[in-house]
Amino acid sequence: MEKKPAAVVEREARVETRDVVEMLRAPAAAPLVPLPLEVLVPEARQQTPAVRQRATRPDCRLHGLGQTKYIDDMYLPGMLYAKIKRAGIASARILSVDTKEAEAMPGVVAVITGRDVPVNSFGPSLKDQPVLADERVFHAGDGVAAVAAVTEQIAAEAIEKIKVEYEPIRPVLDPFESLKLETPGLHAPNPNIYGHKVIKKGDVAKGFAESYRIFEGSYRTQMVEHVPLEPHASIATWDPNGRLTIYSTLGRITLGRADISRTLGVPMSRIRIIATIVGGNFGGKNEITTEPVVALLAKKSGRPVKCTFTRPEEFASSTTRHPLVMDYKTGVSREGRILARQIRLVLDGGAYCSWSETTLGKACILSAGPYQIDNLYAEAFVVYTNKTMTGAMRGFGAPQVCFAYESQMDDIATALNIDPLEIRMLNALKEGSLSPTSQKLHSVVVRETLLQAAQRFGWNGNGARS
Amino acid sequence: MTKVTLNVNGETRTASVPPEMTLLRLLREEFGLTGAKLGCDVGDCGACTVIVDGKTVNSCLMLAPQADGRDVLTVEGLATMERLHPIQKAFEEKGSLQCGFCGPGVIMSAKALLDENPDPSVLEIRDALAGNLCRCTGYSKMIEAIQDVARGDNRQPVGESA
Repeated sequence: MEKKPAAVVEREARVETRDVVEMLRAPAAAPLVPLPLEVLVPEARQQTPAVRQRATRPDCRLHGLGQTKYIDDMYLPGMLYAKIKRAGIASARILSVDTKEAEAMPGVVAVITGRDVPVNSFGPSLKDQPVLADERVFHAGDGVAAVAAVTEQIAAEAIEKIKVEYEPIRPVLDPFESLKLETPGLHAPNPNIYGHKVIKKGDVAKGFAESYRIFEGSYRTQMVEHVPLEPHASIATWDPNGRLTIYSTLGRITLGRADISRTLGVPMSRIRIIATIVGGNFGGKNEITTEPVVALLAKKSGRPVKCTFTRPEEFASSTTRHPLVMDYKTGVSREGRILARQIRLVLDGGAYCSWSETTLGKACILSAGPYQIDNLYAEAFVVYTNKTMTGAMRGFGAPQVCFAYESQMDDIATALNIDPLEIRMLNALKEGSLSPTSQKLHSVVVRETLLQAAQRFGWNGNGARS
Repeated sequence: MTKVTLNVNGETRTASVPPEMTLLRLLREEFGLTGAKLGCDVGDCGACTVIVDGKTVNSCLMLAPQADGRDVLTVEGLATMERLHPIQKAFEEKGSLQCGFCGPGVIMSAKALLDENPDPSVLEIRDALAGNLCRCTGYSKMIEAIQDVARGDNRQPVGESA
């Protein structure tokens, strides 16, 4: 027998030998498989067979036949329908919630309020979002109570009969007001600025001093809703052993399972999530919405419960794209080369953190644009306001900053009387350029892409087409 | 409760429904035809589009009793066990459906258009799809697919394998 390496001997020694037939015992250590020591290098810039090929989807046929079962097409025996009462006020303290009249309605089986949620906070990074608001309303789309009834219509009628007494608090709607130190913290004792990032490279003061001209501009983008055609929905059902099954439109089921476990106080091992076929996500279905609510209603009623967002809820109570205010100061040489750029981004985060930290980071890193800038200072803040929460949406902040830096590029080109394509060609990143965070970039084909695009649509300089 | 009798996909169906029930809910909840979807419930998105007496309607805006005695065609009524409808085939080949939630509505709008106008221009196709919103795929591939059907590329019934 050949001599085994020391590591193998050690691993085998740790294997417990119990009184079992050797063949039936599962190996305690993974079989030794040689791993390739060579690191695979992606073959960048190669034309893959996928390009120019027509792609058909394997699930397309059922979609076209109308046979795909989305969550709203599912029904569990004895299922109840839930509706969530929305606050309708941007900022308030909840004094009382009276559900008596709703509970007395024929057809209403269970009613819950924020006080019925075992752990009333969740979130992908900061746990600042309640399942249902219990003491404080942070934005108009907050849920304050929920009803499960035998029909959707009865549930909708029942939430109208829930009486909530509010003590209004002056809402903070402007991100710049929220930035001010004297503005009271929305989620006190936490400050309103709940995320901050700075990227420094070179010396901006020196860069501006050497510049031929300095351009300053402020750019704003608006809040955008994902509007998936299929609204958010979930169905919860408990089995008699206290195990919970949730059908949901969630895109991130593992993260959702952790949040559901936390809010319900039920171990994750007792929660099963079945992700249904999703009718559009775009980042809007990345975190839990109705899931803990239907779980609690299902537990209280002893029956499966489904909750589907109405279209207005989709706008008011799900996440949106961060509105940004972007201040750009750019110093350029006579030829149009960018010598220094200073950026300040203010992200209006809305009522809760959600995926703001990711958005903040990505917006900040990408705010310089695909350009070689040796002297850079980019700073980004994300603040709370009493508006619909913002979260993940296609690109995480990248489209917003693109609007700002490309708008300014056009302004600079016009002022210096340079062709907009030429100024981009002059400043574009090259193979091996360093990103603002000093990452060495590979497969950089900005120039080639620009030239090809310009050729394809007949770019003739200065906005004219040939 | 109101008694409603209508012809759905060539079959006479009857149901006793509350007078405020919409045609969409009648189809989905009483008849189990979940092809038509509820997207907005206010007639904006077109995911609930079905054909009533040859005309497309937003079934979320039509009351079930209004459909009494009429002919309703839903997406489930297009294909047979043996073959796909040419529009369905073309949508599949062109990759016109991604998440597919808007698909049944779009296909019904396309069907109503081609029944009335077998050779529509791109503008006419766009006009026919004006009431159907799509958020994933976009409209280009749907328009291409409908053009394909109009040109007859997909007119021939697809074989048994379909």
